[in-house]
Amino acid sequence: MLTKELLSYILDIGEQMLVSGAEVNRVEDSISRICKAYDAKRVDVFTITSSIVVSLQSKSGNTLTQTRRILKYSTDLDKLDRLNNLSHYICAHKPEAEYIRNGIEMIGIRRIYGPNVQYLVYGMIAGTFTMFYGGDLNDAAVSAAIGMILKSAITFVQRLDKNVFIVNILCSFVIGMLGVLLVRTGIGHSFDKIAIGNIMLLIPGLALTNSIRDIISGDTIAGLLRLCEAILVALSISFGFGLVSVFVGGMFK
Amino acid sequence: MIHTFQIILAFMGSLGFSILFNIRGRKIWYAALGGMLAWVIYLLGGLWLRGEMTQYFISAIIVTFYSEICARIEKTPATTFLTAAIIPLVPGRALYYSMSYAINNRFVEFADYGSYTVRIAVAIAAGIMVASSLSRVFFALRSHEYRHDSM
Repeated sequence: MLTKELLSYILDIGEQMLVSGAEVNRVEDSISRICKAYDAKRVDVFTITSSIVVSLQSKSGNTLTQTRRILKYSTDLDKLDRLNNLSHYICAHKPEAEYIRNGIEMIGIRRIYGPNVQYLVYGMIAGTFTMFYGGDLNDAAVSAAIGMILKSAITFVQRLDKNVFIVNILCSFVIGMLGVLLVRTGIGHSFDKIAIGNIMLLIPGLALTNSIRDIISGDTIAGLLRLCEAILVALSISFGFGLVSVFVGGMFK
Repeated sequence: MIHTFQIILAFMGSLGFSILFNIRGRKIWYAALGGMLAWVIYLLGGLWLRGEMTQYFISAIIVTFYSEICARIEKTPATTFLTAAIIPLVPGRALYYSMSYAINNRFVEFADYGSYTVRIAVAIAAGIMVASSLSRVFFALRSHEYRHDSM
């Protein structure tokens, strides 16, 4: 039986999926499949990167509409996987609303890697890509250290301001300043390799892949929105580096 | 020698990103292997393909197929594997150089590197597009046949 409450839980699932990194097509598909499983006569779902609208007509002729506004994204592919399983289960077994609520609550308890692992991984990625693009061991060590500092910078800036562009500008500024400093003191050898290794951490890879997948599956608006966002992030990274060159008098080569 | 080293580093980079995106369990290893595969295909492509863009294109196609297949095996969205596996192909270096030329007022080099970055991005995008549309068709056909067989 489709009630307001049930629809709200279904939207919760869709919202969480979108936030943790699903393509628009998958979100729309999951929502309409679940609604169809509960005997909706007609389901209209419209999703773009910042909002979900669902309007459905039940067999008895009632129409229900609900909307969600999505403000913040946080990539979590494990959560996406579990939400996907939950929605498959719902389609197959049509459980009570209570069950769905519990399922969402269980998924809400995030299983994330501990902060120490996260710091290590930031360092590892930065160091790895510095060497990947041809830096030597000194560069890799400097880059790994900057990567770890970058992680704490991201956490700190996000506490002050959630705006993606501001976070990126400030963080790439931090990378640039530290890189210049450590190269000038002679610990690191090539500034460009160190910067590239750390930029890989900020590059909007997920947004780019998802935007392409959105465009192929026919959600052009959502895909273009995400693409614009990715390009703006890339621009804000270069603004951050531009800011560094103002301070150090353009030492990039 | 340098290539073996790069392949190992590609594996580690993808591994790092799959932890960053909070992939769990053995799916991490699928994603990291995908990253390694991406770079191996890229390097192998260099042996008989003319043009770097074709290398990126072919590599993106194969990695997308790989992640679609892994997604079917593990019953999880293909994005899970694709995002982390495509990372070694992302044109970080070209992006950085075009950026630093723009900052230093060297616009001839900036135009060169900028268009190079865009070309790589387009090649990867086209590869993902081709492979995901093909695999959509392929899996749709297969499930169709399957349904007919079971009836």
